[in-house]
Amino acid sequence: MAGNSDKSLLLLIRHSPYGSSLARASIDVALAAAAFDQTVSLLFLGDGVLQLLPDQDTATGGLRNMGKLLASLPLYDIEQVYVDAEAAARYQLDLHGAPVATQALDREAMSRLLSSHDHLLGF
Amino acid sequence: MVLHTLNASPSSAAFEDCLRLIASGDSLLLLGDAVYGAITGTTARQALDNSGAALFVLLDDATVAGVAKRLDGVTLVDMTGFVELTEQCPRQLAWY
Amino acid sequence: MNYALLVMSSPFSGQGALTAARFACSVLARGHSISRVFFLDAGTSSGAAAAVTPQDEEDRLQPWVELAEQHPLELILCIASALRYGMLDETEARRYEKPSATIHPAFTVSGLGQLVDAGAGADRLVTFGG
Repeated sequence: MAGNSDKSLLLLIRHSPYGSSLARASIDVALAAAAFDQTVSLLFLGDGVLQLLPDQDTATGGLRNMGKLLASLPLYDIEQVYVDAEAAARYQLDLHGAPVATQALDREAMSRLLSSHDHLLGF
Repeated sequence: MVLHTLNASPSSAAFEDCLRLIASGDSLLLLGDAVYGAITGTTARQALDNSGAALFVLLDDATVAGVAKRLDGVTLVDMTGFVELTEQCPRQLAWY
Repeated sequence: MNYALLVMSSPFSGQGALTAARFACSVLARGHSISRVFFLDAGTSSGAAAAVTPQDEEDRLQPWVELAEQHPLELILCIASALRYGMLDETEARRYEKPSATIHPAFTVSGLGQLVDAGAGADRLVTFGG
């Protein structure tokens, strides 16, 4: 199917994990892109950084555990995971405890990241 | 060069996050509730003017909102203008 | 140029979905092609066959149906979102033992691979949300 031309894809994830269905949808898109061998990177931005909180426990919530889903990203060879450093600081997030290894970026670096990908998907 | 399409009110997180990521040389098209951000003399408008992006407002949405005559110095675009912006900018990013 | 569109806007709230349909018309009028329009999340409601728009508003379904009739483009509803929103074709309605299909036949239900594939082959990938 895909693969006639490889376009790098950057997903910008702006929504908190359980406040809307967009968080789940965005990770599903990332996994689908990886399954079709497309180059995919993720940028957690603004409230999206809240997906990186450790200790998410959905045992009683009837919801898909987003933390666990994120922890599976490396299994799909998704290793370009970036975080909005300013937003992480705003929420006192210690990224060393995040479910997936990330690279923190300042504002300028995030802007550069946008220009280095072929397609951008904002969630 | 990125075409940012912003469809969120000036008091939203999306509006703020979009402004943080705009680089000079980018284009910014306001649609939906974002059109209120371009009202002349507001702090939101000032932030948009300082963003370094070329500012456009979707005419249909500005008309519906009743702000089309309150947008001094802004380029209003119709749907063809929107398409032209996507022709000029190799990538688009939606904020909402 | 070849365009692919991603629509996440709900047809029942805000202007995003209407804007997406008008944008699609203008893209084609400018001489470009659209391979596929992919509907995700709340956007999948755009395929609702039985939604009735108030008479003083523009119909949300008809513009897409006309586009698909007049141009060789695909309208695809993300299957995971579509099921959540109760947007079922005949096959899915049977599979989940629901009384009837709920989507217009101009739309197809399929997986996210269709979005990835459309993006990979497109010069422009344009998203509508909110």
